[in-house]
Formats: sequence, structure tokens, C-alpha cells
Amino acid sequence: MSIMQSEDKSRTRKSKKTLQTAREAGYLGKKVLEKAIRAREEGRPVAWSMFLWYHDLIAKALGVEVIFPENYGAFCASVRKAEPYLERSDADGFPSSICGYARTVIGYTSMLAGNNMVAPPGAPGGGMPKPTVFLARAAACDTGSKWFQALGRYMDVPVWLLELPHTGVKEFYLPGNKELNIQFVKDELKKFVFFLENLLGTKMDWDRLREMVDQTLKTLRLAYEVDLLRRAIPSPMISQDFWAILIAHLYMPEDPEATKFYKRVYDEVKYRVDNGIGAIPNERYRMMFAELPPWHSLGIFDDLADKFGIAMVMESWGYHVISPIPEEEIENIKDPLEIIARMSYRMWSQHNDSALAYGAGPAYFMASYLRWAKEYKVDGFFGHPLMTCRAATYTLLYIKDLLVEKLKVPGVIVEGDIVDLRVFNEEEAFSKMEAFLEIMDHYRGIRKKEGLNW
Amino acid sequence: MYPENNKQGLTKAKEIYKNRSRRARELKKEGKKIFGYFCCYPPVELMTALDIVPIRIMGDMDEPITVADGYLPTVMCCFYRSCLDIGLKGRYDYCDGFVGSHGCDAAERTTHIWENYIKTPCSFYLDIPHTSHSGPVKFFQEQINYFKETIETFVGKKISTLRLKEAISLHNKQRSLVRNLYDLRKPDPPLITASEVLQVLVSIMVIPVSEGNRLIEEVIEEVKMRENRPDSKPGRVLIWGALIDNTALTELMEDAGLHAVIDDTGIGTRPFWHDIEENDDPLSAIATHYLKEIKCPRTIVETGTTYQNDLENRFGYLKNFAREWNVNGVIANIIRNCDIHGYEVPAVKDYLEPMGFPVLVFEQNYTTSGLETLRTRFQAFAERVSS
Repeated sequence: MSIMQSEDKSRTRKSKKTLQTAREAGYLGKKVLEKAIRAREEGRPVAWSMFLWYHDLIAKALGVEVIFPENYGAFCASVRKAEPYLERSDADGFPSSICGYARTVIGYTSMLAGNNMVAPPGAPGGGMPKPTVFLARAAACDTGSKWFQALGRYMDVPVWLLELPHTGVKEFYLPGNKELNIQFVKDELKKFVFFLENLLGTKMDWDRLREMVDQTLKTLRLAYEVDLLRRAIPSPMISQDFWAILIAHLYMPEDPEATKFYKRVYDEVKYRVDNGIGAIPNERYRMMFAELPPWHSLGIFDDLADKFGIAMVMESWGYHVISPIPEEEIENIKDPLEIIARMSYRMWSQHNDSALAYGAGPAYFMASYLRWAKEYKVDGFFGHPLMTCRAATYTLLYIKDLLVEKLKVPGVIVEGDIVDLRVFNEEEAFSKMEAFLEIMDHYRGIRKKEGLNW
Repeated sequence: MYPENNKQGLTKAKEIYKNRSRRARELKKEGKKIFGYFCCYPPVELMTALDIVPIRIMGDMDEPITVADGYLPTVMCCFYRSCLDIGLKGRYDYCDGFVGSHGCDAAERTTHIWENYIKTPCSFYLDIPHTSHSGPVKFFQEQINYFKETIETFVGKKISTLRLKEAISLHNKQRSLVRNLYDLRKPDPPLITASEVLQVLVSIMVIPVSEGNRLIEEVIEEVKMRENRPDSKPGRVLIWGALIDNTALTELMEDAGLHAVIDDTGIGTRPFWHDIEENDDPLSAIATHYLKEIKCPRTIVETGTTYQNDLENRFGYLKNFAREWNVNGVIANIIRNCDIHGYEVPAVKDYLEPMGFPVLVFEQNYTTSGLETLRTRFQAFAERVSS
């Protein structure tokens, strides 16, 4: 019996992930970590990389196993094993206000260095092996550039910082600026190739890189189509599912296994859409979530679904894939570096049209929510300010304000953290959400009066 | 504060420091264009060349944050929350333009929120690369050129190369004068206090550059001539870290027995320590200067092959500061939730402590109301460095 055939419209309320594929997705994360551990054992190069919006494909094509400390931080939090690392980071003199993922990995690295570069006992998933190189980024947050630099006190490992411009909305539309930005990224990628070739003593296999880019585009296309399917009412897939499967498109999109996996996700979600099956029974409210979730307490979203019929229909801009690059923009481009440059820059600029239409920037971290509110017919916005991730927090009140001003979609703010479960009060969050239901009801009436069609 | 016989320059600086918008408002009435800008990176030379008066946007440690609470969560950078708060309260309502920048996450995100809620006839967001080799410098130059074209369009005239060179020259003169001001802090006791220097620096960032230059010249002249000079204190310290724009902090240090004789901060040496090269390609010179020579930890210096090399590349200038100004301790000032400085703290200690410079790290919330708790820490540090 296929997954789709076994689908039951009245699924169990206790399920943390509603999709079968989401329940299975954990093996993908394990695979990434295990490959890196094996590479280290075999003397092959390993990179610790920030999530780079596809720049890491270059390292992969050069035979580097790439692992992602941000993901490892989230993993430690989700299994509630981050605390000893957080405490070690504090003890080493780093402020407790810096990124929770970084604090976790700083503490982990401190212990790794103190254990002769052998993963400390009890490290989740066997731990991250010592890297050959750090791949940092100049996008999204200051942590993206500062974190790996800070690890220099534990191990002498070279850091390469990948530039990724943050163009403002007005500035994006200045004549020539988009292409100038892409050219800059492309030039920087060329230098990155040269740096890695020298470091590793090997030459880039450009055909291999091109294959990886093509495979990535296939995975991203499927992931994007899943996003489109999620516009259906009732929602066929919710945030709890999305956060489980994201490893496939964020960290290993070039792996044919990720593409195959996403095909199964697509089929499963499509089946639900075609048959009017919601991810949760009795969907009453459609909400979207920004930005990073409380990894340690994701169960709260199940409780909200069970008790109030809240479906989290869209979430976490930074974790979503880019929409496909228009064919006319890339049809004549042979250079994989230019395609990668266009892909990564698109992430930061693809919602500029929406930002422009609403007269409010920036496109990244913000305008996507204005777009999604309409496209996904959202009743409410759940903003989750994080104690230790400012980048994902700065614009939350701003988005909340704009959503209600422009689209009459109200928002609720529940403070917490990505890693540190001590600062998340689940009871309080639940009470806030209960009170918020009436506000969402109220705004449904207002939207109707104002001619907004949901 | 120290009693003075003739305080013309210092008195002026103190008055401007206390009423930071007065001169800008006067100039506005006279028909001048005023632009507010964030952090050390927007090239003020371009604005000066167009006869625009650039005003550094600062917060107010004495003003409780009330309005910005609705726009920036409490876990965000306390300084930029304060800037936005007083901006929303109308304190910068005289600005014809606003220049935000990608100095750090806080500057970048607050720029967009500022642009949306505090409308000015002209605004520009300046993206800044995070590395400083040739490619990023060239890219930065192109972004600066877009900024130039934007303000030229707004004002309705072009900046000639000659005019830009003159503006660079004026601002270089200011940089040189500021360095001369810091030289007055080399003797023991220093000829001018940190609080007085801070008043001058804040002042020159909120008035036209030519007026600022005259002010510094007057202050230097006055300080050299005055009879009542600062007392000697047990501590001569280097302040490293987040910006300081309120003398409450420096006065607290002075009361505790510490002369902050040199600093590495954003309203201190950073914008002034190097001149822009005066050559025939002024835009390139501007880009190179701002990206390569401003030593803010937001720009990543290439790592060396070892941690020690890396520390030397990143902080070698601090060693020079410490030696030239003969300091016996370092104070690391972190404004809470400032990530770029927060990550640096262990490295700064790793670099300076083995050289014999004790490092005191403190975090503060960018409010004067919470500073008193620091008094005993400063006193204890003064005792430590003098023993």
C-alpha cells in the first residue's frame, strides 16, 4: 500500500509530523554527519560551513564533505543536549547574548579541542569532526562572519568568507545594480575556487560542479512546487513537516537522494491536495511563523493544532528555496559559478517586487511574509523573537505592524530561543495564542469589509 | 569636570554636545540640506562636496526607550533601539535625507525600519562588503557611486572631481586635528580628559566639517594654554569596543581613578585614524579608506596561518595604541546585544593579556540609569592596574 493510499483524513492528533516523508527525514541529517565523520577518518577534507545558499556546492565538487554547524546547533537543541555546550561557551568568555547555535558549537569546539580533537563523549550524532576549512558568509547575520573567526582560538583552521550582498529595495532597481551585484558574487566565487584548489592541492572538476548545480536546481524546483501546493485549503503540510524535511533542500540539494526524497514529498502533498486532505483535522486558523522555531519545544505547534485548529501554513523565509530563475535569465549561461551567483543573489532579492508594491523594505526576512499572507490566505502571524538570534528577530515587530496595516492580518509575539529552552515559557505561549484567536476572528471580518478575499 | 580659566573651545564643545541638534536646525532654517547617517561608513565627503551637512545619528542614554519598543524587540542592539526611539520621537525631524548602511545587523535592519517610519525626502541604504581585498573594494566603490548619483539627483547638481577633492581635504584635516587632540592625552597626566575629548568628537559629528575643524583648533589651543589640568590617576586605559557617545561613562571611569587616554571605538579613533589618500581617483580612495582602514570588527581581516598570526593581523594596532599612550589596562565596553564586538571579547583578551595588559570586560544597556553599578568595578580595576 502506498503512502497516499494509507492516508487517513482523521489522522492521529499525537503525531508530531503529519507527513510520512517528514517522519522519515531524520536519516538525511544523519547521512550528512556520518559522511563527514567517515571523510575525517579516511583523511579526506571536511568543511564546517554556514548555510551558504549554494556556494558550498563548490567545496563539494572539490571533494570536500560539508557539514553545517548551524544545523548541528539546532540538532543539539532538539535533543535537548545543548546546555553543557552553552555553559562552556559562557565559561570561555563569550557573551551569553550571541547566537545560540554559535554558543553551542563554540562550547562543543572548546570541548573537542580539549579532547585532542576527538568528539567529546555523548556528542549528539557522534559529533562534528575537526574541519579542514571553515566556510563563513557575509549574509544574513553578523554571526555568519564572526562565529568561525572566533573558533580560531581552539584550532588553526583557515576561514574563507563568502560575500553575498544585501541590496536595498530602491537600490536594487537602480540601473545596472542587480547585474553588478551578481558579477561581484561570481568574481568572489572564482577566488573561492582558487583558494580551495590551493588549499586542497586539487583542481576543480567543472563538469562535476555543473552536474551538482543541475541536480540542485531539480531539488529546488520540487521544493518550490511543494511550497506552491501548500497554498491549498485545508493546508496539506504544516510547519512541523517543513522543519523536518528542510535538510534535503538546505544542506544536500545536490544529492540525487535529496531529489528523490523531494519527489516523494511532492507526491504525498499532492495526493493530499487532490483529495482535500488537511495536515490537521478541522483546520480553523491558518497562521504563518517567523522566523526560527524553538527547536527544543516544537511540540507546542501540535498542541495548538489539536486544541485550536491552528495550522502553520508557511514559515521561516530563510529556510525556503528560491523560486525558479526565469529561463531567459539563465538559458545561455554555461558557467556554473554564474548560475550559483544568480541563485544565491535571488534568495536576497526575489521578494523585491513585493517590497516595492507595499512600499516597505527589505525584501529579505520581511517582504516574503507580505506576499505569503495573501497567497496562503493567512489569518494570523506568529512572531518568535529570539534571545540569541538578532538577525531573525529584528524585523518581527515591523512585519507584524505591516501585515496588520497593509493586509489586516494580525500578529502575536511569543518570545523564546532557538537553542536555550530556559527562556521559552510554553504555558505563557499557549495562553497568548488562546487569547489571539478572538483577534484573528475579528480581523476576518475587517478583511471581508475591506474586500480582501480571505 | 575640571575648573578652567579660559574655556572657549571646550565650552562651545560642551554646549554643542548637550544640544546636538541646535546647529543643524539653525542651518536648516538657513536653507542648508541636512542628512543623518548611521555608523562610520557612509562617506561624509560626498555630502560635504554637495554642501549637504552630514549629521551622525546617535542615541540618547538619558532617554528611556518607549516608542521603539513597538518596532524593535528588547533583545536587539540597545544603541540602535535608542536611535530609532529618538528618531520616532522627532529628534531628527530636521533631516532632509537619511543614509543607512550595512555596518552591522543592527544598522542594516534598523535602516529599513527607519526608512519606513521616519520619512525623509531622500534616503539611501549603502551595502558594504565584509572583506577588504580588491574585489570588495571595487564593489563598494560602485555602491558609493550609486550613493553619489542619488544625492546628486536629490540636490540637482553634480559633484565635480575638484569639489570632491576639496571635501576630502577638509575631512582629512579634521582627521589630522582629531589625532592631534589624542596626542594631548599622551602625557601623564593627560592634558585633556576623555570626557572632554568625547564632547568634542560628538560635537564635530553634528556640525559642518569646517566648523568642526575650527572647534578642534580652538580646543587644542585652549588645552595647551590652560593652567588647571587634569590630575594624575592610577589607571591609564585603552577603551576598546562598542561606541560611547555619552560622557556619563567616561566621567564614571574618571571618578574611579581611570584616565581613558586612547580608544578604539566608533565615536572615537575609528573614523579619524587614517586619512583618505588625496589622489586623482577620489571615489576609489574613498572606498579603499572606508573599507580597509576603519577597524570595525564587522569587516573581516584575513586569518593568518595560526591563531597568533590572526590576532596580530586583527589587533596589532591596539598594541601600538597601548604602547604609544602608555596604558596599564584595557577596558572592553560591550553594548548589550552587539554581536560584532561580543564575538571579539575572548580574542581581545587572548591578544592583550599575555602582553601584560589586564582587560576588564563590561556589558551595559546603553542607559545612564544602570551605570552606577559599574563604579565599584572601575574602582577595583584602577587599583588592579596601578598595583
